[in-house]
Amino acid sequence: MNISLKNISFSYSDSLDDAILKNLNLEIRSGECVVLAGESGCGKTTISKLINGLIPHYHSGTMDGDVLLGDKNTADMTLAEISRTVGSVFQNPRSQFFNIDTDCELAFGCENLGMDPEEIKQRVANVVQEFHLEHLLGRSIFNLSGGEKQKIACASVSATGPEIFVLDEPSANLDLKTIADLKEIVARWKKAGKTVIVVEHRLYYLRDIADRICYVKDGQIAHEWTPAELEAKGAAYASSLGLRCMNLGMLNGREGVILSEACDVIVSHTCSERQRGRLAKQSIMFDNLTFSYHHKHPILDIDRLELPCGQITALIGHNGAGKSTLAQVLCGLQGSWHQKRAARKHGTYLIMQDVNHQLFTESVLDEVLLGMKPQDENLALEILEGLNLKQYAENHPMALSGGQKQRVAIGSGISSGCDVVVFDEPTSGLDYRQMLAVSATLKKLAASGKTLLVITHDPEFILNSCQSVIRMEHGKIVEQYSLSGHENQLIKTMVEC
Amino acid sequence: MKLDPRTKLFLALAANGMIFTAPLVYSLLMVVVASILLLLEGKWKFVCTFFFVYLTAGFFFDQVKNLDIGTSGTIILASLFLMYRIMPACAVLYYVITTTKVNEFLACMSRMHISNKVTIPLIVMIRFFPTVYDESRAIGNAMRMRGIRLFSLRTLKNPVAFLEYRLVPLLVSVTKIGDELSIAAVTRGLSTDTKRTCVAKIGFRWVDFVVIAYCLIVVCAFFNVIPGL
Repeated sequence: MNISLKNISFSYSDSLDDAILKNLNLEIRSGECVVLAGESGCGKTTISKLINGLIPHYHSGTMDGDVLLGDKNTADMTLAEISRTVGSVFQNPRSQFFNIDTDCELAFGCENLGMDPEEIKQRVANVVQEFHLEHLLGRSIFNLSGGEKQKIACASVSATGPEIFVLDEPSANLDLKTIADLKEIVARWKKAGKTVIVVEHRLYYLRDIADRICYVKDGQIAHEWTPAELEAKGAAYASSLGLRCMNLGMLNGREGVILSEACDVIVSHTCSERQRGRLAKQSIMFDNLTFSYHHKHPILDIDRLELPCGQITALIGHNGAGKSTLAQVLCGLQGSWHQKRAARKHGTYLIMQDVNHQLFTESVLDEVLLGMKPQDENLALEILEGLNLKQYAENHPMALSGGQKQRVAIGSGISSGCDVVVFDEPTSGLDYRQMLAVSATLKKLAASGKTLLVITHDPEFILNSCQSVIRMEHGKIVEQYSLSGHENQLIKTMVEC
Repeated sequence: MKLDPRTKLFLALAANGMIFTAPLVYSLLMVVVASILLLLEGKWKFVCTFFFVYLTAGFFFDQVKNLDIGTSGTIILASLFLMYRIMPACAVLYYVITTTKVNEFLACMSRMHISNKVTIPLIVMIRFFPTVYDESRAIGNAMRMRGIRLFSLRTLKNPVAFLEYRLVPLLVSVTKIGDELSIAAVTRGLSTDTKRTCVAKIGFRWVDFVVIAYCLIVVCAFFNVIPGL
């Protein structure tokens, strides 16, 4: 089914003055796979919402122009009608399930459309076979990993048999291995003649599937390339537009980390005695990092973890390898009281993936003062200045952007006197420029003498900012190496998985 | 042993109705049936814990209730009493919520000709509880890392701030998740004007009639309908 967006202008407010889309035209032919790329806030998600009917039926705003699915205008259809032709998969696997178990979830869309129960059973059986979901049947949604959830989401949308699929940053929370599975799913849809629209920052996995990459800027389609054309223009061109790399294998061509890079320091004189002593020692040791639920097989089984002081270490591995558990145990959120005491002694602090969970107070300044002993407003302001947040000191933390919130959380970690900061996927779902900004903050933090451990699935980020890499599998550390000179090894392990 | 969701609803209603007014023996009779059903579901751990806590609370309540123990004692007494009285209904609700699937519930509501306008918000609510629990745990973790604990001098000095720290991030993330959940539902065709079908088979079987009859007898006995019982 052809999709055409004609002269679309849209604004989330009452007037078109601050429109996010400005007179946009886009034609998508039946059976095409189109990627919408661009920097955050450029309007690419808005385009996907126009196609699946959330605009104008769910989000209010001012709209001008027509969206046609085949020959029908979405404005004249109801959301239920649109959902028969357009299936949507969203970014956050936690919040796109309506049922509590997988079986019901797979049948949910078909049931809503009022299909015959016997036919639904047949369709569900088909998608289970097609997507290899046998092992996921009859499970509770809350016990699935992010990748498994995303697979169920794709399959349950597929079961209703829509002509058009709209995916909004489906890979944001996935590891490289599950991204490969996602790639297979998109390829299968395309092969079946479906039209697929993917809004995405990560481009490499769509390299062989996409027919077109549309670059959205300032509310319009600014460029259009085939994947081969974009790749031929080189990595520097892509990153100048804020795009992620097209080909992981070519990452090594980019300049790596400059180890001796002169970096600003966030706050120099907070460097504690403990920290100075450590910098002299060059590495921090954590012993006996083990953890298991109910004395079953251990989720985490590490005798000794050694982190180089004042450096950024990447922690890689598949979903479910025990990385998050390691972070929790390191920060004293799980485990025995021995481990919790060790966490206090070492001064570890976790920056969560969803930073909303760790901002409590009414102003950014209070946030930094909260964990500080004794409370010293000047020092707090200095920390905020180092994080480029001084002008927001009186703002409510929840009113800030994602990147700013993350920096506030870092600030609160610094003020509570931590020496080791653990990050849980700080760059998931970020475009190239935002990723560089996070990378710069982290480098600054390391230059101030903090030791950083970063859980990540983002090879570009690792090459940009980390000095060493730890890889985990089945709760154990399988390799640990310094990155300089071993970039190829990293790319190889990451591409292979 | 699968019960029809309508039977479960009736069971829950009967158990709840008897919390405060009836003599304890009636709600105990409801606990017995809920425990049997839970045991049949293999939830023996929950049943054991339940009876342990319930009987302990009951025992202490019995011991303490006639003593003259002052204000703090009265608070303890009151909470024991609440536990003692509410727990039977909680056990029944636990059974109903953990064993009813969303689609079964939807099917049962449409069998009872209840409008989608009532059912859909109810479903969203049920779907919401585990999510709120998940979020709340993550926030609790973040608070511990900052040294904000429930049992600490700081909280004692300013309990309102503690609540605020806990609730503000929870509200923010729960609102966001609620929005995303409803988007997921509407893009998958859940709407008030299409008639839904359901793969789950629901219907009354002999066990349903046994449970309903049992509940009816207890309720009748409670209202003294049957003389001599």
